[in-house]
Formats: sequence, C-alpha cells, structure tokens
Amino acid sequence: MSYRIIVWVLALILLVPIAIFLVYAFAQGWFFPALWPERWDSALFLRQLADPQLRRAFGQSLIIATGVSMLALMFGYPAARVLELQTFRGRGLIYGLFFLPTVVPSVATGIGLNIVFLRLGLAGTLLGVMLVHLIPVLPYVVLTLGSSFARYDRNYEHQAAVLGASPWFVFWRVSVPMLLPSLVVAGVLAFLISWSQYVLSLLIGGGKIITLPMLLFSAASGGNQSLIASLSLIFITPLLLLLGLVARYLGSPATGATPRP
Amino acid sequence: MAKLRRWLGLAPASIIIIGLFGGSLGYGIAQSLGWLPFLGQRQLSLAAYRNVLAGEQLGSQWWQALLFSLWVSLAATLGSALICLGLLSSIAERQQQYRGLSTISNLHLAIPHSVWAMALLLVLSQSGIFARLGFALGWLDQPSDFPVLVRDRWGSGIILAYITKEVPFLLLLGLASLHQQGRDYLLVAQSLGANRWQRVRLVLWPLLAPSLIGGSLLVFSFIFGAYEVPALVGVRYPEMLATMALELFLNPDLQARAEGMAVSLLMSLIILAVIGLAWRWRRAEHQP
Amino acid sequence: MHTRKRIWNLAVMLGLLSLIIASCGSNAATPTSAPSSTSLDLNNWASIEQAANGQTVNWYIWGGSDSINRFVDEFYGKALKERYNITLNRVPMADTVDVVNQLLSEKEAGKTTGAVDLIWINGENFASLKQANLLRANWGQSLPNSNYVNWANPAVNLDFGEPVESLESPWSSAQFQFIYDSAKLQASELPRSYAALKDYACANPGKVSYIAPGPGAFQGTRFVKQALFEVSGGAEQWLGKFNQQLWDQWSPKLWDYFNQLEACLWREGSTYPKTENELHSLFANGEVDFSITQAIAGAGSLIKENLVPASARAFVFDDNMIGDFNYVAIPSTAPNPAAALVLANLILDPELQAAQILPENGFGLGYGIDPTKVSDPALAAKLTNAAQQLGDAATPASDLAKSLRSDIAAEYQSLIEQGWDANVLRK
Repeated sequence: MSYRIIVWVLALILLVPIAIFLVYAFAQGWFFPALWPERWDSALFLRQLADPQLRRAFGQSLIIATGVSMLALMFGYPAARVLELQTFRGRGLIYGLFFLPTVVPSVATGIGLNIVFLRLGLAGTLLGVMLVHLIPVLPYVVLTLGSSFARYDRNYEHQAAVLGASPWFVFWRVSVPMLLPSLVVAGVLAFLISWSQYVLSLLIGGGKIITLPMLLFSAASGGNQSLIASLSLIFITPLLLLLGLVARYLGSPATGATPRP
Repeated sequence: MAKLRRWLGLAPASIIIIGLFGGSLGYGIAQSLGWLPFLGQRQLSLAAYRNVLAGEQLGSQWWQALLFSLWVSLAATLGSALICLGLLSSIAERQQQYRGLSTISNLHLAIPHSVWAMALLLVLSQSGIFARLGFALGWLDQPSDFPVLVRDRWGSGIILAYITKEVPFLLLLGLASLHQQGRDYLLVAQSLGANRWQRVRLVLWPLLAPSLIGGSLLVFSFIFGAYEVPALVGVRYPEMLATMALELFLNPDLQARAEGMAVSLLMSLIILAVIGLAWRWRRAEHQP
Repeated sequence: MHTRKRIWNLAVMLGLLSLIIASCGSNAATPTSAPSSTSLDLNNWASIEQAANGQTVNWYIWGGSDSINRFVDEFYGKALKERYNITLNRVPMADTVDVVNQLLSEKEAGKTTGAVDLIWINGENFASLKQANLLRANWGQSLPNSNYVNWANPAVNLDFGEPVESLESPWSSAQFQFIYDSAKLQASELPRSYAALKDYACANPGKVSYIAPGPGAFQGTRFVKQALFEVSGGAEQWLGKFNQQLWDQWSPKLWDYFNQLEACLWREGSTYPKTENELHSLFANGEVDFSITQAIAGAGSLIKENLVPASARAFVFDDNMIGDFNYVAIPSTAPNPAAALVLANLILDPELQAAQILPENGFGLGYGIDPTKVSDPALAAKLTNAAQQLGDAATPASDLAKSLRSDIAAEYQSLIEQGWDANVLRK
C-alpha cells in the first residue's frame, strides 16, 4: 500500500466521527432508512452553546486540564531528570511504580480515592480533581520527558555554569529551550488525558465540580443523538485545535512523546 | 548532598503516585477483603474472592467474562499490532519522511475512546449510515439484512472500535523508532541481497519490536481494564470483566462492593502477570 | 544478587501498602456524629422557608434527557428563585446509582455534611440508601403540600415494595406502556396480552424485543414481572408478603414463556437492548415494532425530543400493566436541607403538577398528587384540564385505568433478575 493511501485512509477514519456528529447535531428525527436528514434545526446546538451549565463545565474543564498540565510538568520534570540522568539503587522500582497507574484499571482505584479525598477535604474542590488527574497523567509525562532526557547532553549546562550562569539562568536559558519540544508535547498529553477523564472527575468532583465529560456521559445515557453529537463536538474541538497547533512538535521523534493508547 | 537532591527531585511525583494511587489501591484491597465499615463490617475474609472464583452464579460469570475479556483484548491487540506492522513494512523502504502520517495519527489521539465508540455505533449499527447506504443502493430491504457489527455476541464491535483507535497509536510508536535509521538499514540489507521477507524479519522487526511490543502491552492492559467501549458497543452477555466489576460495584446490594473490588483487583493482577511474562520472555530472548 | 534486590523492592512496596492501609484504618474508627440539620421544625413551615432563603439546592438528577433538564430549569429553577430566593444547582448524573456511591463514600469518610441536597431516586437506590441509613427521616408526610398526596394508597406508601415511611416524597407517577408506530400498524393489529405478543412476534420474526431485566433497567424487570402475572392467571395472588412457594410454583412456567418467545425475537434473543433508550432507537429505526415507556404522556415527550417518529403512539395490554410513583429523597448529610424541603414541597404544587404531565413541557410523567384531594376549584380545574390535553400520542386514560396493577414485594425483583439471567439470557 502506498504511503499516501495510508495517510488518506487514516484521515478519513478521523473525519468520519466529526462529520457524523456535525450532521447529527443539526438533524431532527433522522431515522432509518433516510440517508440524509429531512429536517434541520440548529436550536438544540445553539442552546447548548448558550447553556450556563455547559459554559461553566467548559470553563472548569479548561482550568482543570491547564492546571493539571502545569502541575504535571512541575512534578514530572525533576522526577524524569533524576531518573534518567542518575543511576542509583531503587531506580527500577521507582520507574515501575510510576508505570503502575497506566496498567491498573481506574475502576480499581477510583472509589478508594474518593474516600481518601473526602477525608483530606479535597473532594469537591478544583485542587482535588486536579491532583487526582495527576495519577493517570504523571506516568506519561515522566515517560515522555524521561526519554528526552535520555538524549540530553548535560555538558551545555556545565558550560553555562562554568561561564558563571546561576542555576536559575541555566534552567531557563539552557535546559528549557533544549527540552522545549518535549515539554510542549508532555503538557499537551497531560491536557488531553485530563480533559477526557470521566470517572475520576465524577468521583472526586462529587457533583460540585462538573466537567464536560460528565455532561457528555449523562447525555449519552439518554440516547438523544443530537444532544450527544452537539456535546461531542464541543468536547473534541479544543483537543483537535490543540493537537493541530503542536502537530509539528508531535511529528518529531526528538520529543520522545509517549502517547496514551 | 547529591542524594538529597535526588530524593527532592523525585518527591513530588512520588507523593502523588505512591500516596494517592497506592493509598487508593490499599483501600481497594481492604474492601475486597470484606472491610465495609459503612455496613459495620470490619472483619477480614476471603469470601469475596471465593464467591468470584468459585461461587455458583458469580463463578461461572467470572470465568466466562475472563475468557471474553481475554478474547477481545488479545484479538484487538494482535489485530492492531499486525496491521501496524504491515503498514510500516509496506512504506518503510520508500518513505523518508513520515510527517503527514504522524500528524494524522496524532490527531487521532484527540478523539477519546468513548466518543469514538458512539460515532462507530452511528455508522455501523444495523440502522446506521452504512446500512442506510446499502438500503439506498438496493442491497438490503430492512435493517436486519445488514450484518451485526456492533452490539453482537462476539464482541466484534468492541474489537473494531479498539483496532481503529489503537492502530494510529502504535503507528506513532513505530514511526518514532523507524524514523532515525530505519531506512538506511533497510537499504544496506537490500544492497547486500536480502529479499523482502528477510528484510522485514531481520531488519524491520528487530527495529520495531521494542516499541511495538511495549505499545501492544499498553494496549492490551488498557483494553482489558477499560469499560467505556464495551458499555457502549457491547452487550449484556457476554460481558467483559471491567463491566462485571463495575456492575457489582454499583449494585444496590452493598455486599456486592467487596466482590466488585475483588474482580477489579484480580483483573489488575492478570494484567501485571501478562506484562511480567512478556518482560521475562523479552529478556530471555535477549540473553542467549 | 538480582533476586535479593527484587525481594528488597517487594518488601518496601508491601511495607508502604500496609502503612497506607493502617493510616486509613485508624481514621475510620472515629464515630460519625449526628447530622446537625435535624433542628429544622417542619411544623413551622415559615421558619424553613426563611432558613432556605439565599441557599443553593444541589439536586442530583438523571441528566440524559434534554427536555427534562429544560423542564427542571424552567419550571422549578425559576419558581425557586422568584418565590423563595433559592438557587437551583441541577447536577446531571449518567446513572443515579452514582449518587448512592457518593453518599456511601461520604459516610465512610465520616462526613456529616455532604454535597447532595435532593435526589430523584428509584426504588432500588431508595432501598440501598434506606438500608445504609443515609436518608433524612420524618419529613415526607409533613410537607404542607403533602396533603395533596394520597398516602393511604399502597402504590404511594411502598416504593418497589419497600415502605416509604416518610423518607421520601413523591414527584410523579408512571405506568408501563408500549409504543407502536401508527404509520405502520393499526390499533386493531396490536397485541393486547403476553400470549398475543408471542403470536405477534412469531408471525413477524425479529420485530419484537424487550429491555434486559437487571439493575438499572427496571423497565425490563417489570416487563417480565407482568408476564408472570399473566402466566400465573392474575396479579392479585402476588400482592402482599413475599411467597416463596408461589414463586417456585410459577417461575418455571415464566421461563418457559420467555424461552418460547426467544426464537421469534430480534436477533433471535441472542442479545437484548440494555436500556430504554436502546430500545427507543431500535424502534425509531424500524428494527423492532414496539418500544416501552412509563410516561403518562405516552410517546409525546419522546416525539418532542425527536427520539421516535411523530407517528408513534402508546398502548397497553388489557391487564397487568404495572404503575407506580417516583420520588425525591433528602440525604441525612444534605448541606442545605431547608432548601431541599422547599423544593420537595414545590414539586407537589398543583400548578407545577399540572405543568409536568403536558408533553410540550418535556417531562410527561403523571401526577404525584391525587387531584381529587385538591379543594381549590381553580387548581382542580387546571389539573383536570391538563389531564385532558395529553394528545394523541398518549394511551387513553380509560385503558390505563383498566390495566393498572400495583407493584409487588421487593424480593421478587432480584429473583426475576437473577432467574432471567440464568434461565433465559445465559441459557
């Protein structure tokens, strides 16, 4: 198969859900065997856009996902640096521990966390939801930054230090620029995973924090295709935009992106 | 000093993973052992595990769900890995840059599994878009003439949903390892007279194997443990383990919570065992 | 060397885990103190309205229907703000059972003030929360508007067979009905009993299905329960206390019926729709001929939400159609119990009750109150009027009344679900 065909087929597979949601979001009573909707109505879609609850959920999702990517980078950077640039006893164990959340189903951890967080007074707060999102997010950030540190040449840092640069200066002017693609990609991955999180937000948010996936899932339970399609579109658009923006970083192998299945 | 800095660097992330993740896991283990304080139950026992593995109704449900989960996860994982390998081997020699392919594959990451499953349902169900196309073309007279692709007994809807989602994911991993030297090696092999099959087996596979196997293990454990897709494009029976666990957990009968926890912990053990085995096997292969 | 290192690693992990478990365990022993909110005096309603002034009521409610969401916001949200200065925070849930879990976790964590003020609850979840002692007690029959409720009716004071005992307050009523497409079928062709349904299914193979009974799909359980009434010769004998002998006598006949029916069903019964909406979708796309609803407005609200074609109509069998009430409950840990009480009371307001049954308002379930108990002539007229404006898509009131049966003891519920699972689904 030629390269071009593969790219086009993959693009088509990506476009199908978007196209079908676009049609369903504005279709009215579109049933078998009608190939094309007879009645169109944008009222439902527009109502969703204007709905205060949806706007709030969108805002909260945005705050949470942004916060999570910031925190994940702040926590993940030093960890990845230590794990990749130093050899020490227990390194494998720690890597293994960081890897665990990617394979243990969230069903197994979700409810227990709920109780722990209620005890700590974090349930139902934005901070609590962000912290809990870090569990599925951090492994990917550490792995992504780690594989980029594996290629990292520390001599640049040493040279800067020898020339009298402060550690802070070295960090901002040497390390960050060198790792920028990887940092951007890790941040985007973190945003993506956090944005799509349903169970953990539901359990820790406890209804006080309402995020977009919660609206989407409750709509899905009602089977109204136009509503599901509208919310799905609102849900995936920011992700597509974001990934489109950083596509050039993502495409380069130097970032060491470790995507999520 | 260096030691202190090392632990300081690791501390924030470790606190999240060990403290929060480990804590919740510990809680889950306690619950599966029948520690249900809200029912005034504080005595530990293995009853939940006994019920799940050998109970009259739950036991048969568990083994059937285990088989079905294994079938779906293995079929979807192998399917995606083979398709990915096939695609990569068909383009590896001709292509120098994979910019377009990796951009498209990356954009696929933007669609969460649940949303993807809902879209698939609209396209592939017996009254979906494809069935309507078939009707318009006169190939079928009613929905039941269309093949059952989603919500069927063999889980083909679930498998299909995962394969279409995981192929781009594995492609990304494969492309990363192919990118640097892949083509050069292949060209060398070709000039040394290796035929196509030899090139795939002796050059491409060793190059791709680490990332593809690693990726496939991630895919396997993800599919084995996730429940959104089976909930949307699966059926009540046969069900996957994740669905069974959640159903037990959400059962209004509170005693079922321990059993739900037991199921999800057993699932985690199975996943870890599979990964451990694969790890050993890889190591054994590399140390002749 | 290698193995020793591994053993060391394992020991560290186990040590950490036991530490974590131990730290959780030590906290759990702290006794939960009684909720502070019991001080509200239901005999002095004005004081409750005063306490509720300025509060926000967090109503956890199934959020899958756009039209119900809008009905709640428009009718209750506005009235709460205008009349009582209460803000309604509608929390949409994919499944109400999530609230049960939330409350259980709050209890386990020792919280006395939670996040949930009011829940739209079904019988299964009510039984769970009652069992776990998580509901606010002694208020349902003390609301001012509960005078309009016919508490003497067993269909009101039992919820899925579980005594209500003033732990919840009704919102609306429902009755099992089928939906057909009047563009495809004449009313005279419709089956009017389970026996006739089997004949219809076998004359039109693949065109009939029903919702798989099970937790979260009470409509399917009810479908089977009603068949039990028919094959055993009548519903009366099943009323009253649970009777194991009666169940043992008739359940084999029940599974016989369903196994005979199976071969004629959609996909020959190899799979069943899991939810009401899956069945609506099969029906709307012509895969099956009948759907199932509980709404007094019949297919009206579904048509309005474009879930089924405009030609959809509702009908019932001649007998054995189970009807019941649904309720709202207040958790004992509600942070704003006063506002929750005001809302529960508002729900019983005859004017809003008259609004809720009209299909154009998007809710479509029946009266939670008894219209004959409303003495104000203007309000009574409103209720009577609304009942006459249900439109063509509703089942005629006389048909509903003729076939109405009340639900039976809660024990049968799980027997039916497990029995169907073992004898029909996995057979």
